[in-house]
Amino acid sequence: MDEVIFLEVLEGDAVHARHRLERFPVSVGRGYSNDVILDDPKVSPEHLRIERREDGVLMLRDVGSHNGTFRVEPWAPLAELELTPDTRVAVGDTVLRFRPRNHPVEDTVVGPAPTAPRPRVFEQPRTFALALAALVGASLLEGYLTNYGRTDWGELTVAVVAPLALMFVWAGGWSVASRIARRQFHYRTHAAIGTLVLLGSIVIPALLTLVGFSLALGGGLPGVHYLAFLGLMGWGLYWHLRYVTRWDPRRLMRVLVVVTLVFGALSRAGDWLGNEGFSEGLDFPRTLLPPAFRLARAQPVEDFFEDTAGLQEQVDALTKEE
Amino acid sequence: MGRPPRERPTALSASDIPPAAPSPRARRGGVGWDASMFAFILAAVLAQAPVAPVEPGPPTPDAGAPEAALPVPISALPPATHELFQRIQGRVAQVRIIERRSGTRSSIGSAFFVSAAGHAVTNYHVVSDVVIHPEDYTAELVLSGSPEPVPVRLVDVDVVHDLAVIQMGTPVTDFFALEDREPPQGARLFAMGNPRDLGTTIVEGTYNGFIQDALYERLHFSGAINPGMSGGPTLTGEGRVVGINVATMGNQVGFLVPVRYARELLARALKETAADPQALLDRVRAQLMDNQERLTERLMEAPLPKQALGGYQVPGRWSPFLKCWGDTPHDPEVPYTVTNYQCSSEEDIYVSSNHRTGVVAYLHQHATSQKLGALRFSALYSALFAQDPDAVEATRQDVTNYRCKSEFVDVGGLPVRAALCLRAYRKFPGLYDVVLRAATLNAGTSGVDTSLTLAGFTADNGRKIARRYLEGLSWTK
Repeated sequence: MDEVIFLEVLEGDAVHARHRLERFPVSVGRGYSNDVILDDPKVSPEHLRIERREDGVLMLRDVGSHNGTFRVEPWAPLAELELTPDTRVAVGDTVLRFRPRNHPVEDTVVGPAPTAPRPRVFEQPRTFALALAALVGASLLEGYLTNYGRTDWGELTVAVVAPLALMFVWAGGWSVASRIARRQFHYRTHAAIGTLVLLGSIVIPALLTLVGFSLALGGGLPGVHYLAFLGLMGWGLYWHLRYVTRWDPRRLMRVLVVVTLVFGALSRAGDWLGNEGFSEGLDFPRTLLPPAFRLARAQPVEDFFEDTAGLQEQVDALTKEE
Repeated sequence: MGRPPRERPTALSASDIPPAAPSPRARRGGVGWDASMFAFILAAVLAQAPVAPVEPGPPTPDAGAPEAALPVPISALPPATHELFQRIQGRVAQVRIIERRSGTRSSIGSAFFVSAAGHAVTNYHVVSDVVIHPEDYTAELVLSGSPEPVPVRLVDVDVVHDLAVIQMGTPVTDFFALEDREPPQGARLFAMGNPRDLGTTIVEGTYNGFIQDALYERLHFSGAINPGMSGGPTLTGEGRVVGINVATMGNQVGFLVPVRYARELLARALKETAADPQALLDRVRAQLMDNQERLTERLMEAPLPKQALGGYQVPGRWSPFLKCWGDTPHDPEVPYTVTNYQCSSEEDIYVSSNHRTGVVAYLHQHATSQKLGALRFSALYSALFAQDPDAVEATRQDVTNYRCKSEFVDVGGLPVRAALCLRAYRKFPGLYDVVLRAATLNAGTSGVDTSLTLAGFTADNGRKIARRYLEGLSWTK
């Protein structure tokens, strides 16, 4: 072996500590008199020595340890061992590995050209403030427009307080996760993401309903609603997790797409497998908006009743299912 | 298995009574004002039900007539009830429907003999289980004076008039001859049967003629008919059958099937030899088919009258058999008004304990507001449009789920959001429940939301009626 070697203390496959050995003999043990100190209760205070023989070969010698020294491959107790590159030796619960200075290492990973870190839009204080204002505005507007009774101030107050409270608690949970995983809270960032998700959950269904009514879209609308909900959920999770994990964004994206799709499929599995429960309900879109929002052409009565011929076939097919 | 356990064995139970539900199309509460509207209509209907509640008390001073010194001819005197009862007691029997697996009765009713060959008449609803689930149910008769039940077979049914003919294997000596002669209104009648399994009973009451404007012809009997008496005869003092007990609304308001239909059914049944279960189901289907054809013709022949509702014209009382009610709940608290106008046949056909058919009903709701903007009004209008009328009673075994088609439709220049929904009958192919929902979309803060329910029609007839109905919508302002 080389003149200078490295003693590596292993923990599983990873290296826990590395010691450069250049002057021999070297003593290894738990005691403070040693050159290399191992904090392993099963290691003796003076456990082993590494010496250079006259012919230059490095020898490892047990110096009367209590629990012994073992060669790892093949497993055998040893009193004396000639060190070769990559020799592994077990003392107590610790595994030691010896490597020469000329040990080859892997090629450098070529990374993307580093760029100056730019603050993301969620991290800007203005984003949070604007999103919050938009959320409260949307929630208030929704509360006002959907109430056709007398103005209910209590309900409007709830429309302001409820999304705020929900968002603060939600952001709190995520920032605790960030703190644990990455030692930083990112509270405002999480709050901004949460606010945007909530805003989306108010605005997107309203827009879809509007489009559905205007164009007289029928059957597929609940499916589109559900897809939009899944997309929003996936988007929110992606950005929250970007501030929690150190995963590569592309990998995170792939994982989330799979998770979201699996979740979406499982929650709709019952319907897709044809387990339609018995219901006396009539299933068609019920939203009515002011006449000005209608873009689709009104059909002649004749055409409407002709179009319903398919219904008869559909329900006749249902009678054959059991 | 999938069938709900029934309450006490009452063939004639509250749920069996078609006319007892005054506004089956009235909507469930939901927008708040609805519950009070329903209560109002209920009160209105109870107060002025299809047949005005009359005091059934004896109008003639006949309490002690035999002893009276007046020279009254014997034939005009009311016969002693106990004599009548003794004379005909043997002609009336109890019907028991036996569930095969438990081997015991699942419901009871009454029947009376009408031929020497052992034919007896009862209600269809008493034996409906045997028709619909022949593999699970059989029928037997318990004759007066003999504790041993006799098995009977089902010969023929008339589902529309709620009648059935059953036959015992052994001949009988004592039976009623059915003749069709209408007694004068106010005549004293006697209903017989086995109310609530208490034993054969005779009940006195008054004949009050045909129910006016009924969809399915019924006689009005002012006397106590109770569950278990279904299928029993109602007689004149001389022992002539006038009708068959079928339903009650309580408070001495009872309903009879005119004897004419029993005669017609018996004439048919006497020619039959044996009817296998499938043939009976086919017969029920054919009768329902004929009935819906007759109803469709009746509706399509009549012009659809227009009813003014706000600035709109909507379908009014299309046929005399429809009973129409209307109301505007006044609530100063709410910034809108909704006016209801609804028509319903208020009668239906009993197919099985959970399945009714033969219904025509519709409801218009005119909503308008001075205070709400167009968007807030549309929230109210959507809420109205999202409520459907109560579905005609049916279970998974009877019908499929609804399938709907919705579009914007141009009804003579009036833009309407319309949806047509259909569900098929599983046991009677070719019959459907049809629902048409429509809401006018010509104004920002007013509109008419309407729904039409047709139960037990062919798809073509349903569409035909629905189309005529939809074309009955127009805007006048």
